[in-house]
Amino acid sequence: MAIITIAAFVAFVILRQSSDFSLSSFEPYTYLLSQGIINTIYVSIISLLGSLVLGFILYLLSISKVKYFNALTDVFTEIIYGTPLLVLIIIMAFVIGPAFGTFNRNAMGFTALIVYMAPYMKNVYKSAFSSISEEQYMAMDLFGFTPYQRYRYIIIPQVIRILMPPLMNNFSMIIKGSALLNVLSYTELFYAVKVVTSQTFAFVEGYILMWVFYLMITIPLSQATKYIEKKWSL
Amino acid sequence: MKIEIKNVSHTYDVEVLNNLNLNLTKYKSVAIIGVSGSGKSTLIRMMSGLEKPTSGEILINNYDVRDDAYKKKIGFVFQSHNLFPHLSLKRNITLVLEKTRGFEKAEAEAIALKNLSLLHLEDQVNKLPKNVSGGQAQRASIARALSMDPDIIFLDEPTSSLDPILTHEVLKAIEELRDLGKEFILVTHVMSFARAFADYVIFMSEGRIIEQGPPTILDHPQTRELIEFMEKVR
Repeated sequence: MAIITIAAFVAFVILRQSSDFSLSSFEPYTYLLSQGIINTIYVSIISLLGSLVLGFILYLLSISKVKYFNALTDVFTEIIYGTPLLVLIIIMAFVIGPAFGTFNRNAMGFTALIVYMAPYMKNVYKSAFSSISEEQYMAMDLFGFTPYQRYRYIIIPQVIRILMPPLMNNFSMIIKGSALLNVLSYTELFYAVKVVTSQTFAFVEGYILMWVFYLMITIPLSQATKYIEKKWSL
Repeated sequence: MKIEIKNVSHTYDVEVLNNLNLNLTKYKSVAIIGVSGSGKSTLIRMMSGLEKPTSGEILINNYDVRDDAYKKKIGFVFQSHNLFPHLSLKRNITLVLEKTRGFEKAEAEAIALKNLSLLHLEDQVNKLPKNVSGGQAQRASIARALSMDPDIIFLDEPTSSLDPILTHEVLKAIEELRDLGKEFILVTHVMSFARAFADYVIFMSEGRIIEQGPPTILDHPQTRELIEFMEKVR
């Protein structure tokens, strides 16, 4: 019922457009559009992996006994939380990148996404690891598990279950955030559609198509997240 | 069982145990009672080697409780069941047996099933801890402790997180274990259980042992502290 309501709304919006709705003008550009989709997925996966690593480093620094490292992660997190992603992408590509002698704007755009997501990933790690109680560590100690066995059989299997749902939410955030890379003329989905519509003038169709493409990626992802959350909860 | 506690003191932020001394030789089941914050849980954790005292020495059955060899001789049942939440009741036992006690898979499985049946859990063996009742989880935790074939089983308020009906169910299961030839050291709030199950009772208040002796001391308290305590728990 809810889906029908939304479908009705979409149909209404499409019918209200002044021009006829036709996707035929996009046919010559299928290669560019599919390139856009592939690049969106590509950049999202790179950013996911990158932010997983950087987030883990941040997590380690945040639990370090060295006060300086704790403070450093706090300051970094505060700055990132206060910065819009679009601003961060532009600062990375046009200010920080050149300062380090790199003019590869795409790479700096990827880096911006990674840096932006890292504090969120840090929080995911934090909640996952803190969910293993002190008593469980005592039990592992009592039974005499080796450090390897603790991680292999007790800690990591639990952490992954707790980690997965928020991780997939973050992945969805990355996919959506990657649309902003169009300001660097990186050929992800948003940019590809922008280029195509500037030539076909079928703006309405192009924007709707783009929207549908994003939803085609993100909705299955969030459904999978819900499934895993239910299946794996402890 | 032989218990020697020599000048044991312990401090977290405040003093929890104050120069405890105890020398017992012939008892098979020792109950520690007292109000919350009297230091009884700290004491049982130290007697099991889970926590180390700030000063002093504890020997049980001639083992220094800090020895690794001692850990193989004891089982510990925590306040809340403390099963590994991602493993089935059966796997909670077989994992420990296989990885830390060197049992083959089939042997471990046989031991696990035997002990789970002993605690009337034969129908629940493949369920996760979250899918059984608190009483069943606590009984599984007792089965896990038993499966390590310990000489001594420690029970740290095994029913404190359970309602009266489940408390009865768990205590009844523990009473059934009396004939297994194991020794018990337990902390409990349930005086009827201490009377029926223990052959020696230690009453603690504010980090000291105030009274000790056979369970009959509960019927004829000598000190102001125990008189007040017995009035409250009656």
